[in-house]
Amino acid sequence: MTFEARTSLQGVARMTLGSDATTIERQARSDGMPANNPIEAAVVDVLRDMVSEWDLDREIDSQSKLVGDLKFESIDIIQLVVALEEKFQRRNLGFSELLMTDGRYVDDLSVNEIVAFLKRKL
Amino acid sequence: MVRTLFIGMDGATFTVLDALTDGSGPEGVVMPFLKGLMEKGFRAKLRSTAHPLTPPAWVSLMTGRTPGHHGVYDFVRFEDRGDEVFFTLYDARDIRQETIWSIATRQQRRVVSLNFPMMAPPPPMSGSLIPGFVSWKHLRRNMTPDGLYERVRQIPGFNPKDLAWDFERESKIGEEMTPDELEAWIQHHLPREQQWFRIAETLMQEDQPDLFAIMFDGTDKIQHQAWHVLDPKLIPPQPGADYLRLRRLVLSYFRQLDRYIEQLVSMAGPTAQVFFASDHGFTGSTEVIRINRYLGEKGYLEWKAAGKTDAERRREDSNFAYVDWSKTTAFCPTPSSNGICIRVAQAPGEPGVPKSDYPAFRSKLIDDLKSLRCPETNEPIIRDVLLREDVFPGAAMGDAPDITLVLRDYGFVSVRNRAPVVQPRPTVLGTHHPDGIFIGAGHGIHNSRAGMMSIIDVAPVLLHSLGLPVPSNFEGEMPLGLLTEEEQRRNPVRLGAPTLQARPGRSAHEDDPAEEMSEKDREKILGQLRMLGYLED
Repeated sequence: MTFEARTSLQGVARMTLGSDATTIERQARSDGMPANNPIEAAVVDVLRDMVSEWDLDREIDSQSKLVGDLKFESIDIIQLVVALEEKFQRRNLGFSELLMTDGRYVDDLSVNEIVAFLKRKL
Repeated sequence: MVRTLFIGMDGATFTVLDALTDGSGPEGVVMPFLKGLMEKGFRAKLRSTAHPLTPPAWVSLMTGRTPGHHGVYDFVRFEDRGDEVFFTLYDARDIRQETIWSIATRQQRRVVSLNFPMMAPPPPMSGSLIPGFVSWKHLRRNMTPDGLYERVRQIPGFNPKDLAWDFERESKIGEEMTPDELEAWIQHHLPREQQWFRIAETLMQEDQPDLFAIMFDGTDKIQHQAWHVLDPKLIPPQPGADYLRLRRLVLSYFRQLDRYIEQLVSMAGPTAQVFFASDHGFTGSTEVIRINRYLGEKGYLEWKAAGKTDAERRREDSNFAYVDWSKTTAFCPTPSSNGICIRVAQAPGEPGVPKSDYPAFRSKLIDDLKSLRCPETNEPIIRDVLLREDVFPGAAMGDAPDITLVLRDYGFVSVRNRAPVVQPRPTVLGTHHPDGIFIGAGHGIHNSRAGMMSIIDVAPVLLHSLGLPVPSNFEGEMPLGLLTEEEQRRNPVRLGAPTLQARPGRSAHEDDPAEEMSEKDREKILGQLRMLGYLED
């Protein structure tokens, strides 16, 4: 992909709806989630909704692993990225940085790792 | 009462449909209801997008815009980070243009849209939409409006695993299959279409939308793998048992599809207009072209060292380019793209071609691609080399591959590091042809045929059928001879306001600066419409 194309792609992806961590915090409070870590609450909320029909007998917490515990496949991770971007109303958060390390796709991710990434980006 | 019924048939081609409706095949007429519609209605070949592939083509059909404007080119998009490339999927948020579902619902038309690709997450609209190409695990969250999943779950026999897209299974498209695997493949699509039909039946009855649209995609999947039993030219003089068993099974799919069409048309009622379209046609691919292998031999691409771990070997066998990004200047990202991307260095010393060298580099690359020849006959392998500025002009052109290849057999390329570059296939496999189908029937539809329509002409037809004006920034036009004279008088074509932003909230710089139609373009379209007798003066 050319430099122009890459710039354009980033442009397409960028959403500027003005959502930020503070907004999420307010939303988390109104949803009855723990206010001490609203981003974690939002991520867990998205994951719970996502896997609600998957016949998983597993509670989701900050230690949960997507592949190891929640039986995620690669397509599910892509869907999770979309769902989180929709939840936080932001695109182009750079999830590729989280999902790829040293040119290789990561084997698994924990809720904690996703939350830490979002805290840096939001 | 349904005013407009639109039935999409992924990959449908007159090569097959004519043989199944005119009785020329050994089994006689296989699709009697469609035969009747075709005999009474309007038909034309439908030219697909420059690269005839499901995502760009269906998005063009749904937006009335070419890929250079709507911005979707493939199933997969990638982010080039210099030393590595991150692959992910296009989704509905990448579509830069408003869809007909949105255009219709904001003008108070009720819409049901089922199984169209690139519709997840669902775009803003007030009708009912179930997207296609979504895994069962994510179907509920990607339906609109809220509560629709609970409604369809009440339909007797509903099974989301049968209904939805199975990514693992569908990734086998294009691979050689044993007769047993082929049978299982086709068997899978029979209940799948039944699931979609049952949902269609329910929502048509309960919602009574103005526009009811459904896409059946078993046509594409079955033609990919069983083209050798469908193409009339490939029927062997002495068919074997495997061939006959497979053909019976394949035809049972088309018989079932014909019954679904009959029931949907009947439910829509006698005053409805009915339209069919495919995103592309089909033909047979006879050879494998390993284009990245060729680029490697020509020095444009460096492969990664052979994988040692299972994960590395799986990655090598995947359908995404797996190369040494620090030494690669041009590559094909995916087999479905048939595209060659040139990497332009962002700064001196970074991977890619210096920006100033781009024109000369691309010229040499094109010469090298054109010099790829069949080792047996010395014929060129590449039928056409398409430049993005020629075939994808528009604000989204920058996301298109620099070069799009049309192979001599219209096949898709391989991106894997295997030899040889050109290899005949043991069995002909189905591949996409640029010419799909368009059929119109019902109230006010003229009994005639046209030479060739464009896929971007379908959106104006559907909006006009709903009694809505054609947005002034649409690129397509109403086809000549589609409507009877009486219908033209009753419902003349009107040109209306341009479409709105694809998604509310997008910042201005992301919208197409060239969307406002120039006065010259507007006059050109008005002139065309007047010439066709569609426009009121």
